[in-house]
Amino acid sequence: MKKENAIEVRNMTKSFKLYSDKPNTMKERLVRGWKKNNNEIHTVLKDIDIEIKKGDTVALIGVNGSGKSTLLKLMTKIIYPNKGTVETRGKLTSLLELGAGFHPDFTGRENIYFNAAIFGLTRAEIDKRIDDIIEFSELGDFIDSPIRTYSSGMYMRLAFAVAINVDADILLIDEILAVGDQHFQDKCFAKLEELAKSDMTIVIVAHGMEALKKLCTRGIWINNGVVAMDGKFEEVSNAYLKECA
Amino acid sequence: MKRFMELWQYREFLRTNVKKDIRGKYKASFLGVLWSFINPLLQVLVYAIVFPYIMRVQTPHYLVFLICGIIPWTWFITSMSNGTTCITNNSNLIKKVYFPREILPISSVTSGMVNFAISCIIILIFALIDGVGISWHIIFLPLVAIVQYVVQLAFVFLTCAFNVYVKDVEYMVTFLLNLAFYATPILYNVDMFKGSKFAFIFKINPVAYIVEAYRKIFYLHEIPNYRELGMLFIISLIALAICYSIFKKLEKRFAEEI
Repeated sequence: MKKENAIEVRNMTKSFKLYSDKPNTMKERLVRGWKKNNNEIHTVLKDIDIEIKKGDTVALIGVNGSGKSTLLKLMTKIIYPNKGTVETRGKLTSLLELGAGFHPDFTGRENIYFNAAIFGLTRAEIDKRIDDIIEFSELGDFIDSPIRTYSSGMYMRLAFAVAINVDADILLIDEILAVGDQHFQDKCFAKLEELAKSDMTIVIVAHGMEALKKLCTRGIWINNGVVAMDGKFEEVSNAYLKECA
Repeated sequence: MKRFMELWQYREFLRTNVKKDIRGKYKASFLGVLWSFINPLLQVLVYAIVFPYIMRVQTPHYLVFLICGIIPWTWFITSMSNGTTCITNNSNLIKKVYFPREILPISSVTSGMVNFAISCIIILIFALIDGVGISWHIIFLPLVAIVQYVVQLAFVFLTCAFNVYVKDVEYMVTFLLNLAFYATPILYNVDMFKGSKFAFIFKINPVAYIVEAYRKIFYLHEIPNYRELGMLFIISLIALAICYSIFKKLEKRFAEEI
């Protein structure tokens, strides 16, 4: 792995088995065992080669089902490639889901610990951040109420506040920018801009080109499992929009 | 070594998971956490009423005898049943968040252990009330608990990983646990089967050794059979290593198969 890179994807292929109806139980396995080849293989990503430098902010764009989220999951190591390698350097945090590990019967404060702990923070690290998180969430006194009493907006605000305050070297974000009211969205966006300017490496999957334009310097357009275009964000997004129109 | 460093990094996740397991389960109920102790007590009550009168059990201090078996068994059965489904029940986490997957099985066995540690106080209270008393042999308690912990963790690594691929595992585990309850000397004494053709069951059932050891500590006030326990510990450590490596192999496709 090259020294200046934060993420390296090399000749990477990922395919999933497509089951017409996945035989899940023992009975189904026994009954269907004799006709083994009833599943097709669907290749989601083909021979992907991507290098992302430290400190870059990169947008992955493409139509639904093109394999963007799968690529993020591969970088996160939730799934593993069939061929090739995906390597990352530094502490990686991926925001594929907000509020992972929240328990409705516990207070907002306790849930901050649950959620942040999933990202691998230690107790001392969370203690250090908890005031920032509570302040960012703007929940005020509600922070000590059980989160089952929260409105969905409050819930998402708390979840985003934790996610954005978990600092990492690499941050992967999957279409979660639309959280809360206009005021809170602006605040989240400002925070993301601040992170983008820092030396954090960020990879974002999103569809709002206008918003991405302000954040990203580089765009990678993924179409049908291959890199269709890779370069300056403006150029890639223009080409993508032209193709879609 | 790198794996252990990572697990250490995620210790807070283990801690919060155990907390959620213990306090979250009964949080909405009036008696709350107390339920995790009331449940085994009620079970003891049922057997303590049923067995001496219907089955004419002659064991002295049968209540303490029983409770020494039921409390460790409760740990075993809760870790096994929660542990087997710990991956499948957390599918939303597995699909969306990276963390060392082994934290989930480890935390289900660990939260059982915390309950067990508190339940041991119940055993002692009953031992005092019933006149059995407490002896210095209680110092062996942590050793036996460690053996039990390793045995359970080995089982759970295996069953939770298999359960992702074949959902029937959890139902088979439920049945086997039911069967194992009667194949473990909880309600009765091993001596009842001396020379019988079923005696081999207690030789191959690891939980039987463990229950016997607890009974020696709390009930008979003897030193547990360290040779047997030592052997069991070594075998279960080997089993743990094997089961863990199987878990690590199967874990790569958890997010896809779940």
